[in-house]
Amino acid sequence: MKKSLPFFNFVLVVFIFFCFSGNVVAENIIKLGSSISFTGKHSRSGKLYIDSYKLAVDTINSKGGVKVGDKTYKLKLIFYDDRSDSSESSKMVEKLIGKDKVDFLLGPYSSGITIPDSLIARRYRIPMIEGGGASEKIFNKKNKYIFGLLPEAGEYFKSTLEYLKTVKPTPKSIAILYADDKFDLSVGEGTKKIAEKMGFKIEIFEKYSEGQSDFTSVLTKIKGKNPDVILVGGHTEEALNITQQLKELDVNPKMLSLTVGPSESDFRKALGKDSEFVFGVASWSTQMNFKGYIFKDTAEFINIFKNKFKYDPDYHNAAGIACVSVLKYAIEKAGSLDREKVREALVNSDLQTIYGTIKFNPNGQINGTSIVLQILDGKVFEVYPNTLKKSVYPMPPWKKR
Amino acid sequence: MTLQILINGILKGGLYGLMALGMSLIWGVMNIINIAHGAFIMIGAYITFLLFNFTGIDPFVSLIFSSSIMFLIGYTIQRGIINLVIRAEIFITLILAFGIEIFINNAALMIFSADVRKVKVSYGASNFNMFGVTIPYVRLIAFLLAIAITIILFFFMTRTKSGRAIRATSQDLDGAVLSGVRVSRIYAITFGIGTALAGAAGTLWAIIFPLSPTMGGSLTLKSFVVTIIGGLGTMLGPVIGGLTLGIVESFGTNWFGTTFESLISFSILVIILIFRPKGILGKGKE
Repeated sequence: MKKSLPFFNFVLVVFIFFCFSGNVVAENIIKLGSSISFTGKHSRSGKLYIDSYKLAVDTINSKGGVKVGDKTYKLKLIFYDDRSDSSESSKMVEKLIGKDKVDFLLGPYSSGITIPDSLIARRYRIPMIEGGGASEKIFNKKNKYIFGLLPEAGEYFKSTLEYLKTVKPTPKSIAILYADDKFDLSVGEGTKKIAEKMGFKIEIFEKYSEGQSDFTSVLTKIKGKNPDVILVGGHTEEALNITQQLKELDVNPKMLSLTVGPSESDFRKALGKDSEFVFGVASWSTQMNFKGYIFKDTAEFINIFKNKFKYDPDYHNAAGIACVSVLKYAIEKAGSLDREKVREALVNSDLQTIYGTIKFNPNGQINGTSIVLQILDGKVFEVYPNTLKKSVYPMPPWKKR
Repeated sequence: MTLQILINGILKGGLYGLMALGMSLIWGVMNIINIAHGAFIMIGAYITFLLFNFTGIDPFVSLIFSSSIMFLIGYTIQRGIINLVIRAEIFITLILAFGIEIFINNAALMIFSADVRKVKVSYGASNFNMFGVTIPYVRLIAFLLAIAITIILFFFMTRTKSGRAIRATSQDLDGAVLSGVRVSRIYAITFGIGTALAGAAGTLWAIIFPLSPTMGGSLTLKSFVVTIIGGLGTMLGPVIGGLTLGIVESFGTNWFGTTFESLISFSILVIILIFRPKGILGKGKE
């Protein structure tokens, strides 16, 4: 025992040294704050971003952190639960800024919550990077401090409409159904505008309340008019209801496309075979292959993600990773933690990530489009603009499957 | 097309009726507005989902399990919790029910997470055609079962000793006590039957619609509206109320648009309250 005492002292000294040096390192921290939905109706989607933010920050820290000039900084995440409520979220953002003194903000989930949060970011002149809200109402306020990574809500179905021009027989009439939340309002109105410009006839253009479960009335109306295509802007639960009730009432459109649902494994699991041939849109899919910024490429990201969280990442996750990536890039490019300089760097960013190329439009929204997906053999494939698997159009009628 | 809309409304209305039956019973007999009713429906739906996923029991068969489990839960909740404040003002029981609702909802969120689930049966959305109307099998069967359960309840209330005791308690509490009715037991049974009906409604709901832990709130509201429309103190009230709401909603949303569903249901509520303050069939005491 006596012999080991000097060794023990040595360990103690090293330990104390590390304690102090730890404090020295602790000064080199960049604080990122996010008020996001841990509970409430958005908790499922919120989790996708929480997981992604954590993974991105851990990865950056383990690979050496952020280099600003000749100093290295570690990133630190501070989360608060907004309970899926926008006024709660505003309070939490104020708390992040006032009490925690965060350097930069990461966005919440859903357009409805992002709008007020982004205005707070502007008031305090703190750049906020978000991947959870795509409504134009976030970006039409001349807010220089908000940067969004989802393509414009109004253009979500643009690629789908372009795809429809390539199929035979060319579809003529469209029914648009959309939920009455901020994001889907933008989707509905934007889609109508683009579709009319492209020469499609809008047979039915109808709004429904978020969370509605029975669609038999409007689907009966659709059955009467028999449009070629049904486009839906809504949420997973409504997507499930609409798809099933189409089958219940034996309505057979040539295409059914849903903004949310088809890319999620929940949707395919819940509907089983009935989800076959359903179309969807997304800004990203696991089949894409990009060179990464903090990961080597998309494949490596998917691998690490699946190992850590035990589920397949979707475009929400990829957008969450991209939020942190582009922030790191902008800080290093600016060579300073000065928020104005970082904002300047964000405006001019041109970065290749696992999510794709990140360049922002003057309004702060990413310059990008969505892709068309289709469920084929129980899996989701990109069918347009890149044809990873040949799309099936028209969808076979329910009774002939 | 008009016929199709009518059929859609009737099929939905039957389910509404069953949903409201339990609420109406508890309200009529015990004067408790059970805000937690929708949460009980949600539990019934999850029982069906779990039984189907883990044991493969057909959801229609699990009707028996969900309603008996819910009966026990309801009986226990009444005996253990609600009985303590049964003589208090209606607001106290209202607040208590509200508390139970919050508890159940959050417990369900913790246990099941906010994920949307679905009971995926092979005959899921299959249908048949009759006179140009498409009728989904599951909705038709759910409708028939809802009507059958109402009829069974009717016979229980009129032909059995417990049923008569329940009605006696609701009509004249003092008289019932004097005739030897053990009121606390009758109350517990009533509450048990009410929640059992909620469980049954939950099962039928789960066959048609996807489930999530937060679905209860809107169902409570629907049950409430149906109960008022139909009128308290009668077995047939909820059925008539449910069918009325189902049909009006179906036509209303078709004419005015889907967003107006809630507006339409509450408009009928107001109209009924103006012209028939006790509901369509109501003969409850003032």
